[in-house]
Amino acid sequence: MSDSTIQHHEERRDVTFRVHRFNPQVDSKPYFDDYTIKLERGITVLRAINYIKEHVDSTLTFRAFCQAGICGSCAMRINNMSKLACTTQVWDELEKAREPGVIKIEPLRNLPHIKDLVVEMDPLVGKMQKYSNWVDSKMPESNWGKKEFLVSEEEFLAYDKATDCILCASCVSECTILRAHKEYVSPAVLLKSYRMNVDSRDSMHDKRLADLVQDHGVWDCTHCYRCQETCVKNIPIMDAIHGIREDAIERRGTKDTSGARHAEAFMEDIEKKGKLVEATLPIRTNGLAWTMKNLLPMAVKMVIKRRTPPPPPLVKASKGIDALRKEFREMTSHVGKDHEKKSGE
Amino acid sequence: MKRYAYYQSCINESMTKEVDRSIELWQHDLDIEMVKMHESACCGGSNLDYVSPKHFALVNGRNIAIAEKQGLDLVVSCNTCLMTIRSAKKKLDESADLRNEVNEILRKEGLEYRGTSQVRHLLWVLIDDVGLDVIRKKVKNPLSKMRIAPFYGCHILRPSTVLGKDNPLEPTSLDLLLNALGGKSIPYEHKNRCCGFHTLLVAEEESLNVAAEALQEAMEAKADCIVTPCPLCHTVLDGYQGKALKQNGLKGSIPVLHLSEVVGLALGYSERQLGVKRHIVTV
Repeated sequence: MSDSTIQHHEERRDVTFRVHRFNPQVDSKPYFDDYTIKLERGITVLRAINYIKEHVDSTLTFRAFCQAGICGSCAMRINNMSKLACTTQVWDELEKAREPGVIKIEPLRNLPHIKDLVVEMDPLVGKMQKYSNWVDSKMPESNWGKKEFLVSEEEFLAYDKATDCILCASCVSECTILRAHKEYVSPAVLLKSYRMNVDSRDSMHDKRLADLVQDHGVWDCTHCYRCQETCVKNIPIMDAIHGIREDAIERRGTKDTSGARHAEAFMEDIEKKGKLVEATLPIRTNGLAWTMKNLLPMAVKMVIKRRTPPPPPLVKASKGIDALRKEFREMTSHVGKDHEKKSGE
Repeated sequence: MKRYAYYQSCINESMTKEVDRSIELWQHDLDIEMVKMHESACCGGSNLDYVSPKHFALVNGRNIAIAEKQGLDLVVSCNTCLMTIRSAKKKLDESADLRNEVNEILRKEGLEYRGTSQVRHLLWVLIDDVGLDVIRKKVKNPLSKMRIAPFYGCHILRPSTVLGKDNPLEPTSLDLLLNALGGKSIPYEHKNRCCGFHTLLVAEEESLNVAAEALQEAMEAKADCIVTPCPLCHTVLDGYQGKALKQNGLKGSIPVLHLSEVVGLALGYSERQLGVKRHIVTV
């Protein structure tokens, strides 16, 4: 039996919390404090750090409220992953600890740091405002309070899961693209936008969608699925992001964003050749001028190393392409009928 | 000799030809054979699923049906193809309506999606079918003294509901293989993070920042090279390496090898044979 298995089976033991500390009024840079306390199995990380604050170091600062996984206040990075302290068992984290017996606690990433484990949520709220993430009623004001606004079960199911979001910002903290550019819309905001856009009571769908396809919007997501993997409520966030993209292509076409043109190219190429024609993908996505400016130096290197993708005429179609094309078109007619049915309802 | 239906990823037929070339070199040494699927089609590269969910199910249902007709598991060596085809499989397995609609079309070509073939990554085949003990015995040129930064890439790990092989937070499969080949895999935070590939043409600045951080961390950890099981990650980390580092004011360089190449190196093939010299950043 390994040491870690022995630890895991113990009912009571010393646990060290290695906590990120920073007080901008006195510290020039962040540091870690170790707090070792004796704990029993069944204790959550939040109860442990509450104990530390009450009995060991009252200066330790963090946010927490409901202690039941509902309010979303106590999200923090525990052993390198953002999650709620109140729903995380110390014993589960001991199993994942890189250094035996030591649990690392840090503030969320991708949001401005205020003190110790507390981050500024204003940028997230600001983006919620920027993308108009509230229901603006379709019903004329004169009817308010007089008429009911009925939502069918089917309509509700479209955003049921998205309403589970408690705005804890764990996904925001783990987002790859937000880390690379702070203007990026972020997963929690996209999830909320999706939820609003599929709500039959809302009237701002078109404006919201027009905002979402701009720079730093929905097309900048790099499909890393970290948001979804992090979500403390197991919400399939990528389904929402893909839902917005599907809607954007359907309603706005591919004219206004490189992301949509890039995605649509896959569809064209599969129908035509059964495979992707990579050589012209940059041009079809961003135009010739962009491609020359951005990719020419690299293209030269690639030519030297003989790793340039073949020009379109030299991309051999998949064997059996005729059958594939026929099937592809047949599915296109199915999709057309689905649309007719949907718009007829 | 165990046979597999080998799905030919678009990128491996154009920019990263060395992947398939190296697999062809060593496959029989490990008593496996990758039978190329000439009739398969592009999986949609994690884009077709939202451009048209039904075409996505059709194309990938067809890809899997071709493997099923041969009675073989479908094996890929590109993470995004893996995730994309597996998520189509999940949708088809979960919805009888979708399956029937796809099969109604496929039947005319004599194909049927039944859900009998598994969709697997080459890395998983090496670990689960060939086995690390056998691989250890076959190693002729152990990668000893080589400090390797394993870079898993996203789509072999996430979404875990579709992949489910490795722990997406603490993956071990690639580390185990690299160590079986005699190398030393080193821990670093970026091993399960993103390379930025999927936004390269849409948000290049962001993508290159993502790549630069991974490269920087591997270099700071004093790795001799990065090894990835995904040709898309390779394209960013190798092909765009200079540009990514420059954009972020970073210096240095680090070779990036394909999984299939390090297997080949350990089995005694030369860099030239495996195509390592064709990389942008050469060793």
